Amino acid sequence: MIRITSRWRNTLAVALTGISLFSVTAASAANITVWCWDQNFNGATMQEAFSRYQASHPDDTIKIEIFDKAAMEQKLQAQLASGATDGLPDIVLIEDYRAQKYLQSFPSSFEPLNSHVDYSTFAPYKVELATLNGQTYSIPFDSGVTGLFYRADLLEAAGFGAADLENITWDQLIEIGKAVKEKTGETLLPIDPTSSDWIRIMLQSAGSWYFDADGNVTIKDNPVFKAAVETYQRLMAAGITTPVSGWTEYTGSFTSGKTLATFSGVWMTATIKANPDQSGKWGVAPSPRLDGVEGASQASNLGGSSWYVLSSAPQKDLAIDFLSEIWAKDIDFYQKILVNQGALGTLLAARDGEAFKASDEFFGGQPVWQNFSTWLAAIPAVNYGIFTEEADTATVAQIPAITSGGNVDEIIAAIDAQVRQQTQ
Amino acid sequence: MTNPIALLGRAATYLLLSLAAFVSIFPFFWMIVGASNTSADIIRGKGSPGVALWDNIVKFFNSFDMVRVLFNSFLLAGLGTALTLLVTSMAGYGFEMFRSRFREKVFGGLLLMLSIPFAALMIPLFVLMAQFKIINTYQAVLLPSIASIFIIFYFRQATKAFPSELRDAARIDGLKEWQIFLFVYIPVMRSTYAAATIIVFMAQWNNYLWPLIVLQTNEMKTLTLVVATLTSGYTPDWGVIMFGAICATFPTLVIFFLLQRRFVEGMLGAVK
Amino acid sequence: MPALVLLGIFMVYPILWSLWMSFQVGRGMNFSFGGLTNIMRLTQDPVFIRALTNNFLFLAIQVPIMLVLALFFANALNDSKLWGRGFFRTAIFLPCVTSLVAYSVIFKSIFGLEGIANQSLLFLHVIENPINWLSDPFWARFVVIAAITWRWTGYNMIFYLAAMQNIDRSMYEAARIDGVPGWARFWYITVPLLKPVILFTSVTSTIGTLQLFDEVNLLTMGGPSDSTMTLSLYIYNLSFRFMPSFGYAATVSYVIVVLVGLLSLIQFMVARDRRA
Repeated sequence: MIRITSRWRNTLAVALTGISLFSVTAASAANITVWCWDQNFNGATMQEAFSRYQASHPDDTIKIEIFDKAAMEQKLQAQLASGATDGLPDIVLIEDYRAQKYLQSFPSSFEPLNSHVDYSTFAPYKVELATLNGQTYSIPFDSGVTGLFYRADLLEAAGFGAADLENITWDQLIEIGKAVKEKTGETLLPIDPTSSDWIRIMLQSAGSWYFDADGNVTIKDNPVFKAAVETYQRLMAAGITTPVSGWTEYTGSFTSGKTLATFSGVWMTATIKANPDQSGKWGVAPSPRLDGVEGASQASNLGGSSWYVLSSAPQKDLAIDFLSEIWAKDIDFYQKILVNQGALGTLLAARDGEAFKASDEFFGGQPVWQNFSTWLAAIPAVNYGIFTEEADTATVAQIPAITSGGNVDEIIAAIDAQVRQQTQ
Repeated sequence: MTNPIALLGRAATYLLLSLAAFVSIFPFFWMIVGASNTSADIIRGKGSPGVALWDNIVKFFNSFDMVRVLFNSFLLAGLGTALTLLVTSMAGYGFEMFRSRFREKVFGGLLLMLSIPFAALMIPLFVLMAQFKIINTYQAVLLPSIASIFIIFYFRQATKAFPSELRDAARIDGLKEWQIFLFVYIPVMRSTYAAATIIVFMAQWNNYLWPLIVLQTNEMKTLTLVVATLTSGYTPDWGVIMFGAICATFPTLVIFFLLQRRFVEGMLGAVK
Repeated sequence: MPALVLLGIFMVYPILWSLWMSFQVGRGMNFSFGGLTNIMRLTQDPVFIRALTNNFLFLAIQVPIMLVLALFFANALNDSKLWGRGFFRTAIFLPCVTSLVAYSVIFKSIFGLEGIANQSLLFLHVIENPINWLSDPFWARFVVIAAITWRWTGYNMIFYLAAMQNIDRSMYEAARIDGVPGWARFWYITVPLLKPVILFTSVTSTIGTLQLFDEVNLLTMGGPSDSTMTLSLYIYNLSFRFMPSFGYAATVSYVIVVLVGLLSLIQFMVARDRRA
């Protein structure tokens, strides 16, 4: 046996060294590597930005690696945790909810950019969420400013016009949904019971979150949280929602006309506009506000992300120069990605551009981008903290109890207890 | 010589098998139908074939450097399977043929190792690969999977049925241990090998979590990673994904078809 | 032995590392030695307890169903007089070669609110209202169990078939000539000879179920309300989705190891008893 193994070991060694590597190396010019998810949205905007930068840097190239979002987050977290910087990109996209988790868990993995970027030119809430100990690490990208997207033609048929949806409360929306159901038999909203998006939108619209500014859990004694859970319960009890499972079924529901509306981040525009046959049939209204809650507003946020430069980046200087040249200055660029990808940037000056002022035929001629920009400026800044995922999970775990009409105080106490346990 | 009870039993067997076959095949039918429809139709739950097949194929091959991706997938799965079979069957044979108290203990330890979830080992493995400077290489993908405990365990269990008289006879004929392994053991155990090949190839081909972590660039991606990437994003194109899924399923099926014949031979092959 | 060398490098080292980690507490990359803190944390963790319960539920229900089915199919397909053998064998094995992505997409659409499962049941008047398969705790578990069974029955069947092929035909012939009926031939010849492989599949299925990850991650993400949360998915969340607590995640991993150790021991004992 011993004699065999030495023989095999040699064979194995030969076989292993025999696997040659196709390493692709750029010649003399520098190459920036970017990690992000979604080719059509994030990938395409990054590509557009770099093609503008190439006008002054013709020799440099960019390589955009597209992943599935969950996979990319896992990959990044595994690699940062291992301490090995081999193979990390220069620039990486991080969702806003997770920014603080990365910044605090992996100190000195990301590059502060204060000396390169004037942050006063960006929406304040975007800057705040990427700031730690006075240093800001991001180039703010897209906003998740929310709106109520609705099928104007179908609601019109039930007797509701655009004016009826302006500046309403959630409870007024419920009444509208009931009336529509009665008149036409149609269901107003799809709901994914495995997602906490609605709760998050409601919380932020009133300037609240699972945590306060110092990162302490504020669930049990938080009137906004209670109002959000109660509102959610009323929505479910009203019979104006239909349950869906997962992203595809959710977007499929309102793009195929099974449901009449959805409230979501502005990035949903691209998904809705992917059906050209529905042009002119849609409208957008501001998010509904919570009733009887201090600080309630018609503006909120869902998702959105920003670009970060890694400290270990092989082409750090070039990457920073590129980001600050285009992403922090180029107003024209923001017009272009708004038109092509439906990406609403957070550079405040971009709002004065042509595209932002244009009205959109798809939405019956409404000045949707103007509206979104106005709401964007009104989004209450909250501290997402480092445990948003855990709090979401604990909240989602109670959704069946909320839906079946359980006692709100008990439910909130259970969420509170789980979040505290998970975040010790 | 048939009696009614036997006939009834036979009918029940056929009924159950047909039901199982239907349940197994239905999703495939659905996948092939999906590949011929547009994304919007799939979301609407359309269950009849459409006309978008060619568009989906074109889109799929334009989304990534597919030739390179397929090459990566086949190279990794093929090489991985060959090496795994070699290493694990020797280990399994060794475990069964040379008994001692110590070996049983080692084996128990192996079983426990098998039970540690991979998620818990990913970080240290990654650190290891970084120290060897082989991140983003084929070696990094293959090395941790070659000595598959699961397959060692399988070969060991299967070797229990290997007649030791054969080995003794070969010994008397003056064969060396490696010759016995090569010329007696492997031919006798061929259906075991056939089953293991299918299983290992499938595992290598569908390997997702680990390649995701160690492969960094598009040039190195495998088909499984590409299909998973396609499903992400705000507006996934389900028609293209369905076609990708068919591509990702096809090679394993071919291997299975080829090795099925081995099974049948294994039945007829009297051991000499 | 090369296998042992490879294992030594690529398994033992990471395992030792994770064992050491399981006594560490801290967030992200800042650790400190916490002794038994993590084990104490387990006992008060509602998510862990839910995940553990689910794992046992899946184990108790799904593994026996699957193995009995696999054995039954393998035996039926091993009969050379069966018509359409190749077809059935391929058909039943088909599910486990499906790529994971495809499989989750397909199952989600079949069990969607307006998916084909509901449509068929409504059509046959089995149910009055559509079932929310994936958003109802009970039905979500049902779908997960159905999905695992669908995917892995054919896989285990292959092992049984391979083992049956290694059995010497002449034994069956002799028994047949002596007038032993079919079920008895199966029970007294096939099953005892297959024992090592049956033990193998039951141990590996146990391990597989305790490590259940893919199906729940793709179909339900552990929801609704953690009703399909499993230990492996929880470890994944602790390491890669939540604020990383690798130490605690490693502790949860060792819970799986201990459980597998105990259950495998029991299975080996049972197998040994029956041999006597």
